[in-house]
Amino acid sequence: MKVSFPYMGTPIGYKKIAALLGHEVIDPPKPTQRTIDLGVKYSPEFACFPMKVLLGSYIEAIELGADTLISSGGHGPCRAGFYGEVQSKILRSMGYDVDLIIFDSIKRDFLGFYRKVKKIKGKHSWRDVWYTLKFSYHTIKILDFLEQQIETVRAYEVHKGQSTKVWEMIEKKIDGAYSDAELDRVKKEAQEMIDEIKLVQVPEEQKIRIGIVGEIYVVMESSVNMRVEERLGELGCEVRRSQYLSEWVDFNLIPARFSPSREPEILRKGEKYIEIIIGGHAKQNMGAIVDYKEQGFDGIVHLMPFGCLPELISQSIMPKVSEDLDIPVLTLSLDEQTGRANSLTRLEAFVDLIRTRKNGKCIIQVS
Amino acid sequence: MKGVYLGIDVGSVTTKIAAIDDQAGMVFTRYIRTNGQPLESVKQSLRELRNELGELNVLGVGTTGSGRQLVGIMVGADVVKNEITAHATATVFQYPKVRTIFEIGGQDSKIIVVQDGVVVDFAMNTVCAAGTGSFLDHQAERLKVPIEQFGELALKAKKDVRIAGRCTVFAESDMIAKQQFGFSKAEIIKGLCEALVRNYINNLGRGKRLEPPFVFQGGVAANQGIRAAFEKEMGCEIIVPNHAGNMGSIGVALIVRDYIQETGVPTKFRGFDVAELEFVPSSFECSGCSNHCEIVKVELNSKMIAAWGDRCGKWTNNTI
Repeated sequence: MKVSFPYMGTPIGYKKIAALLGHEVIDPPKPTQRTIDLGVKYSPEFACFPMKVLLGSYIEAIELGADTLISSGGHGPCRAGFYGEVQSKILRSMGYDVDLIIFDSIKRDFLGFYRKVKKIKGKHSWRDVWYTLKFSYHTIKILDFLEQQIETVRAYEVHKGQSTKVWEMIEKKIDGAYSDAELDRVKKEAQEMIDEIKLVQVPEEQKIRIGIVGEIYVVMESSVNMRVEERLGELGCEVRRSQYLSEWVDFNLIPARFSPSREPEILRKGEKYIEIIIGGHAKQNMGAIVDYKEQGFDGIVHLMPFGCLPELISQSIMPKVSEDLDIPVLTLSLDEQTGRANSLTRLEAFVDLIRTRKNGKCIIQVS
Repeated sequence: MKGVYLGIDVGSVTTKIAAIDDQAGMVFTRYIRTNGQPLESVKQSLRELRNELGELNVLGVGTTGSGRQLVGIMVGADVVKNEITAHATATVFQYPKVRTIFEIGGQDSKIIVVQDGVVVDFAMNTVCAAGTGSFLDHQAERLKVPIEQFGELALKAKKDVRIAGRCTVFAESDMIAKQQFGFSKAEIIKGLCEALVRNYINNLGRGKRLEPPFVFQGGVAANQGIRAAFEKEMGCEIIVPNHAGNMGSIGVALIVRDYIQETGVPTKFRGFDVAELEFVPSSFECSGCSNHCEIVKVELNSKMIAAWGDRCGKWTNNTI
């Protein structure tokens, strides 16, 4: 099988599963303007932004020769759960003969999950599968561990843009590591590269930490969120996201008893604002905001795709959350538009607001 | 020679410049139309400043507004600041007790919520130009009323007309319908002002607690009809500062003054002679990947001095 998958943050983790199980992996193209244009052209107009970009990504992967596409599904009353069906229909009507395999949560549909794994597994033994899964889980754990460090140092780097470049190099290194020993060696190297980034010393009380919450795809995929993490980093803010791939795996794929996931705790914290799961990650986001506040974060950037139903609901709860917790929240709605000036102005003003709140006075950052 | 700090606010429709001395006293303000040529309009304002006040010792210069980057490169700005922070700084300086700032400009509008002199919340309209100066400009032209008299005329209306707010496309068709019913120009303009204010408060004020004192600024603050509509909507007095249209430029001048006085660094101002230099902005489509970003570059003496617009940093990082 020639396998490909969409970008949602770095795809190295799932790439390894497919490659180790003997499939030819078509490197998925990172979404660009063309991806978005393709997706917009062939999707229903009212579908939300992630569905359009994903469709565009599938089309581009097929153009590169993929015959099997693997992605994850959604659950709860959010439209994402329906994307897979709609997208494969659209692809079929466009004349593409391709297999779209959508993994839903193992806890909801064990049998379906098993069948899909079996299909991808091919002739490999279950032992191989177990090793592969373990290995790629290990990989994404390392990736997330390193990326969080990048999200911190980016705020204080002396040479603007260095952390992002280092991160790109790390991604390449990890991409090429195919054994546990190699992975450990690469991890060490990566750590050294991060430690070598020259930093400006900033007094603890002036450090600004911002949590990014929102719909999982736009939170994780930088090419569709105006690279909001990098922008905030340039403005001198440390960043954390409410979503990391390894955390998603922890919660959705690993049985609760063995899972290190904090998600049940996060969900409990969100209960006060949204009682039930209303789809997407709306409830988790509420919990994440409470959690960020408890950790001493200074502000929240809330990303939502235009027309996203769960996030539309959280948007209207935001003013109350913000007031209750005394934490500033900036909601940005993302769509196919490329004009970023307006959003950048808001981000900049938002950071000014936080900085002034924190220090009683705006410490001027010449940008 | 007098030492001054310059603030330049380059908006979509108008260009504003303010000069303040080191005690924050107002030395000079100017408000002119950008006419789609931000660089030219800034050069013209600088020439006027020099002609009126003679040689000045410029201690610092800051830019703001949607053209802040481009003009910042041209004049050699010490501070390039977003317009939300700039506006709030000027208002808090003049009215330390202010709680809510309404700002309506040519292409965008904002609500800024202030508490104890600190911005605590803000909202800004999205890409749609509904309810901004441009829309009023357009309607003034359609009704053949000079925009300067637009507000005054609204005050002369004897009756109320309700015009749909929400979207200016609806507002326009509603206005035409009301015209055919025989309402006077003054009444229609008044209705329009009220619709605009209603729309603005509903959109930007959603979920916010708007408390007096209110300060109304930006180019549209010169319009008495809108001011009256605001007073009617909020049910209390609305303060319009003397230099309502220039608040952004005053704000960034104050910011640059603080910055220079605190750090003591010498200004990067290129001097008044920039008005005679030939800065050539142009744009091209980068073909490095399928993003096809539109790159804006600025050349001086056919040497590229700045570029932006790329997503990957390929061009931005290679310039000063």
